[in-house]
Amino acid sequence: MDLDYLQMLMGEEEVVVEEEGEGYRNIWVVAERVGDELAPVTLEMLNQAQQLASTLGAYVMAVLVGGDETLAQELIYHGADKVFLFDDPALKDYALEPYIKALGDLFAEKMPEIVLCGATDVGGELAPRLARRLDAVALTNCTGLTLDASQRTLVCTMPVYDGEYSEVVAFSPEVHPQIVTVQPGVFGLPYRDEYRSAEVETVAVDLDGAQPRVKVLNVVAEAEREPVPLPKARIIVSAGRGMGDAEGFALVEQLAAALSGEVAGSRGAVDEGWIDEEKQVGMGGATVRPDLYIACGISGAIQHYFGIQDAKFVVAINRDENAPIFKVADVGIVADAKEVIPAIIEALEA
Amino acid sequence: MRIIVPIRQILDPRGFTVSRRHERIFVNREEYIINPNDKNALEVALRIKDTGGAEVIAVAVGKPRVDDALREAMALGADAAYLLTDEALAQTDAAGAAKALAKAIEKIGDFDLIITGQETLDTGDAQLGPWLAEYFGIAQVTNVREATVSDGALRAKRDWGTGYAEVEAAPPVLLTVAPGANKPRYPHGGRIMAAYREWEVTTWGAEALGLDAADLEPLTEGRGRTFPPERTLGERLTGSPQDVAADLVQQLRLQHVIK
Ligand SMILES: Cc1cc2nc3c(=O)[nH]c(=O)nc-3n(C[C@H](O)[C@H](O)[C@H](O)COP(=O)(O)OP(=O)(O)OC[C@H]3O[C@@H](n4cnc5c(N)ncnc54)[C@H](O)[C@@H]3O)c2cc1C
Ligand SMILES: Nc1ncnc2c1ncn2[C@@H]1O[C@H](COP(=O)(O)O)[C@@H](O)[C@H]1O
Repeated sequence: MDLDYLQMLMGEEEVVVEEEGEGYRNIWVVAERVGDELAPVTLEMLNQAQQLASTLGAYVMAVLVGGDETLAQELIYHGADKVFLFDDPALKDYALEPYIKALGDLFAEKMPEIVLCGATDVGGELAPRLARRLDAVALTNCTGLTLDASQRTLVCTMPVYDGEYSEVVAFSPEVHPQIVTVQPGVFGLPYRDEYRSAEVETVAVDLDGAQPRVKVLNVVAEAEREPVPLPKARIIVSAGRGMGDAEGFALVEQLAAALSGEVAGSRGAVDEGWIDEEKQVGMGGATVRPDLYIACGISGAIQHYFGIQDAKFVVAINRDENAPIFKVADVGIVADAKEVIPAIIEALEA
Repeated sequence: MRIIVPIRQILDPRGFTVSRRHERIFVNREEYIINPNDKNALEVALRIKDTGGAEVIAVAVGKPRVDDALREAMALGADAAYLLTDEALAQTDAAGAAKALAKAIEKIGDFDLIITGQETLDTGDAQLGPWLAEYFGIAQVTNVREATVSDGALRAKRDWGTGYAEVEAAPPVLLTVAPGANKPRYPHGGRIMAAYREWEVTTWGAEALGLDAADLEPLTEGRGRTFPPERTLGERLTGSPQDVAADLVQQLRLQHVIK
């Protein structure tokens, strides 16, 4: 059976992008790689881009700098209507200057209407530079994207003051391209459809004068990284006297590691000598505002609560169902922390 | 060595409360502070000054009241300060502020480093630094924790992914400093008096910078605010440790608390 016939049976035809046209067109997703895979945010952006594209009557174009054909196909399976692939080996590892040159040249020629980048280390470097290079402006760290269809402008939701609230901001109609960075984990993952097919166009870039200006001397992996100061930590797992002994406290450290978070403690844990005083949370210690605070074997005295009232999501694990900590927890677990924590670590790894 | 540090003044979050229920911000005390991350940026500049000597220049775009932030920067150790303000500049958006800073830095001239904060608390924009680097066509290092200059080379330690990296570049370089990268110093007693009484803040308007109204036309428009949902406290999870754990992890993922 020939492939075309099979595709017809599957009800899928190759997406054929009509390249001709005037002015700024289509929604472009700047794909990002992590090791040999696509970053999850790239797939999430394809999903969001498809929704915007259907309103605008536009195509979703993906650009992959330094990847390969296999990853290009993955982009198509996840919603790209066409992929532009820079396969120059010099572009394998990320470096700002060559990447900006590749993207800048391509966009200057193709004139995108909208460009989506991940709000990641890489996307956060690229987007503002692209904005300046293309004489546009970027809206960054977006957690919501809608369209003002009458003006064909993007309306972006951007959290401010550490997420206390969000500003909603639209591009002015004369801004082209409209460049945004999209926060990872906000938009859902698209369905992976292996029967989707579309064109991959290999493109080349003249890297003359675009050599990296910053030399990387050495890279230190996660394990050796210095701890994030508690007031800045996004995830904190905190131990109280209820962890019982050093062994119990070690469970809290393991849970923090499994969540890539920081370890902290109540005064109870400091008094027991399991953790340094500078890691104490509360009135006499640090005031924290993480996205997630897990209190393990902490009673929840007012002096402790004082330090966590701005935490966005609090989980409490305590054996005593009347412990005050439950009054301030989004989720409470009445159980022996020594039994529950290993189970949580297991569930995280599953 | 000349180091330019752009500084932004913001509304002090300790002076207002956000009511999710009323979807409103209640300002109890209207006070302004230096964007905390910019103090980290200034601290990186001042440490370079302490070790090898440097002229540190603070620059800010905004309303006339931003003068205060610049004097504080001088009390902390900056050698000179420039305030870019007039009616048009006080109203402009991020793109306009970026253009004004770029022109001012050009006018000051001969810089070796520009050190900005990674992001401001009141907009979370995180784009002014790289924007300036592109404007001047210079190297940039983002997410910096520490930086030193020796033998004319800049070395920096920066956060990258889940780890960090050590990098080197030849000036001119733009650095953006990670929030909380260091513990900013306190202003020096003697400098406080001088900064507020004796020293001058140079003021430039749009015209002095060679910008006209069209350059400062906002490229974005505000469409209001949204607030996170009110919290519902007190949900209890029950069952075996395994059930409870599975429940919890699923909830955290659904709510985007973890990935
Ligand atoms: C001026 C002042 C300042 C203070 N500042 C601080 C501060 O900054 N930070 C701070 O934390 N405290 C502070 N305190 C102390 C505070 O009042 C409490 O004494 C302290 O927080 C109690 O610590 P804890 O919850 O770890 O211990 P405890 O109060 O002893 O609570 C232990 C909890 O663990 C539970 N538990 C026991 N075994 C288990 C198990 N196997 N599994 C699950 N749960 C279990 C118990 O039910 C209990 O609720 C301050 C006090 C004062 C007077
Ligand atoms: N109005 C401003 N005046 C001077 N510097 C600014 C201004 N706005 C932002 N900056 C600088 O740019 C950095 C990043 O800001 P932003 O891109 O607005 O998040 C800040 O940390 C400051 O160093």
